[in-house]
Amino acid sequence: MPDSNDIILEIRDLKMHFPVKKGLFSRTVGQVRAVDGVSLKIRRGETVGLVGESGCGKSTLGRCVIRLYDPTEGRIFFNGRDISQAGPAEMRALRKDMQIIFQDPNESLNSRHSVEEILEEPFIIHDVGSPEERRIWIRQLLSRVGLPESAAERYPHEFSGGQRQRIGIARAIALKPKLIVCDEAVSALDVSIQSQVLNLLMDLQDEMNLTYIFIAHGLPVVKLISDRIAVMYLGKVVEFTSSQRIYDAPQHPYTQALISAIPEADPEHRTERIILQGDVPSPINPPSGCAFHPRCRFATERCKKESPQFRQLGNDEHWVACHHAGELVATSSES
Amino acid sequence: MFQLRPITKRRLQRFHSLKRGWYAFLFLSICLAFTVLAEVFINSRALYVQHEGKSSFPTYGDPIPGKVFGLGYGYETDYKELQAHFAASGSSSKVIMPLIPWGPNEMDYSVPPPAKPSAKHWLGTDIMGRDILSRLVYGFRVSISFALLMVGMTYSIGVTLGCLSGYYGSWIDLITQRLQEIWMCLPFLFIVIIITAFWSPGFVGLAFICAIFSWMGIASTMRAMTFKEKSREYVTAARSLGAGTGRIVFRHILPNTLSIVISSLPFQVAGGISALTSLDFLGYGVPPPMPSWGELMEQGLGRLDAWWILGSVATAMTIILISITFIGEGLREAFDPKRHSTYD
Repeated sequence: MPDSNDIILEIRDLKMHFPVKKGLFSRTVGQVRAVDGVSLKIRRGETVGLVGESGCGKSTLGRCVIRLYDPTEGRIFFNGRDISQAGPAEMRALRKDMQIIFQDPNESLNSRHSVEEILEEPFIIHDVGSPEERRIWIRQLLSRVGLPESAAERYPHEFSGGQRQRIGIARAIALKPKLIVCDEAVSALDVSIQSQVLNLLMDLQDEMNLTYIFIAHGLPVVKLISDRIAVMYLGKVVEFTSSQRIYDAPQHPYTQALISAIPEADPEHRTERIILQGDVPSPINPPSGCAFHPRCRFATERCKKESPQFRQLGNDEHWVACHHAGELVATSSES
Repeated sequence: MFQLRPITKRRLQRFHSLKRGWYAFLFLSICLAFTVLAEVFINSRALYVQHEGKSSFPTYGDPIPGKVFGLGYGYETDYKELQAHFAASGSSSKVIMPLIPWGPNEMDYSVPPPAKPSAKHWLGTDIMGRDILSRLVYGFRVSISFALLMVGMTYSIGVTLGCLSGYYGSWIDLITQRLQEIWMCLPFLFIVIIITAFWSPGFVGLAFICAIFSWMGIASTMRAMTFKEKSREYVTAARSLGAGTGRIVFRHILPNTLSIVISSLPFQVAGGISALTSLDFLGYGVPPPMPSWGELMEQGLGRLDAWWILGSVATAMTIILISITFIGEGLREAFDPKRHSTYD
């Protein structure tokens, strides 16, 4: 179990707004609030699942964290060091410690490079090892992710989707990073392949003491791999607690709706499905007060006016952004 | 180290299987080889001279004065005369002439120019008594090297600017785009006429001027391709590994745009040949007496009664341009991404 005081990554009120430009002179007419004030603390060696509907900003958050985007506001502390303003040279060195695995390995592997060239690239960029050493490392990496050594001479398109994702994983772990952002890393794979890749990820975590930020839109997958889960809605984290508590005692109405939507394998089992009304509002023009209030079953006048704080419930390891959290437990667990 | 990618191999196989393009490619390769070795086949110099027990090979190297072979003059030997001289004197000395013993700038007044095609001049002579076949072959060498040089320069400018504006976007893109639009509006021919009025550009200079006026097309293609490739995830992956701009552009983006560049290459070469021919036709091309197709064409139009002049140059031009176009079609078909995979 990860030590609860050993924080590898702390995000403080992170905001990532993309300007919407229009017209001849590219006037900025609005902001897409992709990530709108997120604060999280992630412990060394744990897996934090990040779930939410498409467009809720979870990928943007993941990419901000490893500074593929420059955040608009807020701070990111990696190993206690503020990296939100780090310059290019500083960032280059930090890249060794933080990596990303992408959703679609077709897209994330350059089809013109052989597997050997793909896996050699991190070593070349960071100038690690001699060519002979790199050759050996590449073969070790391949066998580590469950691919034959002969794969090195081949090209990505000669592999299946699952194997390609393994190549992507091998590239990500090449430099022995501390933190890996898995951006929908298994969403594009077959269910049977998903579990193999998830097992590989969990094995690697044990072996290398990795910290994962695991982004996905499917709750079952996230539950399997995560220690804690953060639920995002419209650029904000609405609930953050252990994956067990998210299932057993969801506090935020949105989380409750998500959990109720998970299909059960038992045909006798009946649950009350909470059907959300309407669409996700536009992140360019989010609703007043609590962003979820137009779709919330419990919305009151206060929800329309006042934006809820992201607060800790009692002394539990449970954070939620809802005015009525705590009062709503009974209503949901009854069903 | 040098190994063809499987996809490249498949593309080459596909190109090979498209017969029209493949035969055009073979034909053009033979033409190129022939024009490189043209001196051996078509030349006023002898291939081999044996005189007083000494052998010489005058095809390449410095001109050999007539005195060496016992002729009474110090300028370059006229080998056809030498052959006749040896035959008349009945000596054991020998001269072997190339298949077609006429140089491109050699004038033959033994028949009044322009002479009809005959056994002596296979395609006849032009109005100055020069062998047309010889001029065609040497003119092809000039045309094709001009086209290749020009395409090389065009691509260097176009690919650099296109890639730059596609990769950096914002104000660099804005400036390059406007420059490109303005440049497209400049009347190429008038500018060439103005330039040649006070400066004779020569062969390389002319290729450069042409290149300066033809980089816009490839630049906009490259810009679009770079835009597209830049936003793909493998570039993000390289950035997350810490790759710098140079590495991303040269190792990732450029190789992925190569297929577009290659498949447009033959059409550019054909364009280069046509450009030089039309400039020569108007008299703004390569300086005389360099053999050129455009100059032959102009002569031919002036003397339509000597039909063989225009007839042979028009035929040669048509055949060459068609075969280059066939190669281009074949390449484009072979590189068609839809045939191989969705992502390439």
